[in-house]
Amino acid sequence: MQVGLKVWRFNSRSGERELQEFEISAPEEATLLDCLDIVKDKHDGTLAYRKSCRMMICGSCGMRMDGAAVLACKVRMYEIAEAGHVPVISAMGNLPIVKDLVVDMQPFWEKFKSVNPYLQPGYDEPPDGKEYRVKQERMNVIHKEALCINCGCCVSECNAMESDPDFLGPQALAKGMRFVGDPRDGAKLARLEKLNGEHGIWECTRCYFCNERCPKGVDPRDAIAKLGAESVMEGIDRDMGAKHAKWFVTSAKTTGWLRETELVPKTQGVVTAIKQTKFALGLAMKGKVPPPFPPHVAKNVQESRRLYDLVHEQGIAGYAGIVQGEHALAKLSHGNVQGESLEQIYDRPGSFSRPYLQDEEIPSGSEGGMGALNQADTTPGEEPTKMYGDNQPGEGAAK
Amino acid sequence: MTATATETKRVAYYKGCLASLSAKELDSATQALAPKVGLELVELESVTCCGAGDIHEAEPDYYLHLNARILAYAAAEGVDTLLTVCNVCTLNLRQANFILIGDSEVRARINENLVSVGVPAYERDIDVRHLLWEIAEGEGYEKLKTAAHRGLKGLKIAPFYGCQILRPSKINGFEDPDRPWSLERIIEACGGTPIDYPAKIKCCGFPIIQAREETALGELIQPIEQAMEAGADCIVTPCPLCHLSLDAWQSKLKAATGKDYGMPILHLSQLVGVAAGLEESELKFKRHVVSVKPVIEKLQI
Repeated sequence: MQVGLKVWRFNSRSGERELQEFEISAPEEATLLDCLDIVKDKHDGTLAYRKSCRMMICGSCGMRMDGAAVLACKVRMYEIAEAGHVPVISAMGNLPIVKDLVVDMQPFWEKFKSVNPYLQPGYDEPPDGKEYRVKQERMNVIHKEALCINCGCCVSECNAMESDPDFLGPQALAKGMRFVGDPRDGAKLARLEKLNGEHGIWECTRCYFCNERCPKGVDPRDAIAKLGAESVMEGIDRDMGAKHAKWFVTSAKTTGWLRETELVPKTQGVVTAIKQTKFALGLAMKGKVPPPFPPHVAKNVQESRRLYDLVHEQGIAGYAGIVQGEHALAKLSHGNVQGESLEQIYDRPGSFSRPYLQDEEIPSGSEGGMGALNQADTTPGEEPTKMYGDNQPGEGAAK
Repeated sequence: MTATATETKRVAYYKGCLASLSAKELDSATQALAPKVGLELVELESVTCCGAGDIHEAEPDYYLHLNARILAYAAAEGVDTLLTVCNVCTLNLRQANFILIGDSEVRARINENLVSVGVPAYERDIDVRHLLWEIAEGEGYEKLKTAAHRGLKGLKIAPFYGCQILRPSKINGFEDPDRPWSLERIIEACGGTPIDYPAKIKCCGFPIIQAREETALGELIQPIEQAMEAGADCIVTPCPLCHLSLDAWQSKLKAATGKDYGMPILHLSQLVGVAAGLEESELKFKRHVVSVKPVIEKLQI
């Protein structure tokens, strides 16, 4: 089959950037990675990208196709080529580009290391020197998190990290959960304390890009929610994010509906909330601050109070509340549920088969993409990553 | 009369916290619009907050019970669809629904708990659907095309989807999460011109706007700035939380950047409502922080 690819080339030394188009012939079973290999072997040997296992387990070949992070070795090209679509291939986001499709993974590994991704001693040794056996149900808690191959696809699209590069991010937090939930680990509380830090659990903005992109089904956002639930259960709830979450629980069991006006002081504390008074007054003028009295109370709200008590008696607490739903949710699969062909999707009016998260292309017939040109792979307040060039490892680091 | 009754789809209406409280304009616009797009809304009295993702993160088992209770009361109305007008309600309810439908053991325990406190058990499966999906295709779309007679001629509109109506697609699944089309289709049906820009599928920052304001504002600025640069007259969103952050927190962007964006933000029900000729008493634009006047003037209403 004939496959067309548009590849964003980038030279970090000169800062030059160029969209290069390739037309290659490839076997019908070829993956995106196979196609890149053909480009490199037969068309342009200077193309840089990472690869190793070619079977979705080493996590080396994370990159973007049409703006979405993918494992190149997992994407089959047949349908795309048949649809006549020429995808744009670029480096992952939220990490500095070294050359072409190769990003500097150093910031990723720093965050990964910071969660101590190894078991800490401390569990009770079984008597008589017997082996320590763990029941399957206890390992089911971290079944999904243990699937992570550290490819970075989730980090590439993390909206919170794009805004704050210090955010620990979906990969490190999911890895944190992998050890918090491991019955053999002896440092659960210390881990939770650390993951409750300024750039931890409560900085997640719940954009769900990580769940959407993860090629292994880890669902990092759900792992972060598990950490939140476990922290609240253990009484580690000093963070404003935890207080915010707890106020919803209080609201639900007292009035049934969110007690909106009290949410700010309950989250931020009274002193900080008072500093927001001017802003709040502006909202109040528009009816955006509903008076707390008389409270808006749901009919039969005593039922939700009694459910709260029942839930606490039954003790499916902390992450167990999320784990119980994983069996059912595992039956669902991501993607285009309505079952349209790719051809239909690319042809549909009002949809644009183009990258949304980076500046690969200016959309045809619209000036709208110009905003993206400046957005690029940039974090607000910082220079675009394409400026990183001089300070980063050069081509030597690229494979 | 009889003919209209048979063509009308009866749905349970879950308005959620914001449309009940600080975004009352969303509720009144939706109620006024519904009959024009063939929907009969059955209001649910006994329901609570869905937990907004927060109860899911703080007390997940309680989250599941609260949402099961909402689903049970909706099913008790004899309808097949629970209609939402908020992205976050949509994801929370759909997720709980899939857990209950997909795991009979979990469902049995929760039903037992519901019944023990006087709530009907959630027995007959129903579907949770956002208003956006109801009017973007099928019968709702056909009715919309007729209802939107007043049009939005000349108006350049930036669709802002937000997150939790697109992702995770395995739970929402209405459209391709990377190439959504429903808002554009509705804008075009109303005679407006959709504007394209990259941040339309990204996060508005609302979930962390109180706990991590700076990070949230770094997200919020993207759709507003990009829509502005693309020449949009306004942004439309299907989510009242996105609306609150785009509309009410826009002033904080001014403080940070010195730029006065003044970008009007419309709820989906309001945008379609304008095209369908709803009155200001139903649209309640006066409740917005950023003035909608430039939009009204351009349309010469």
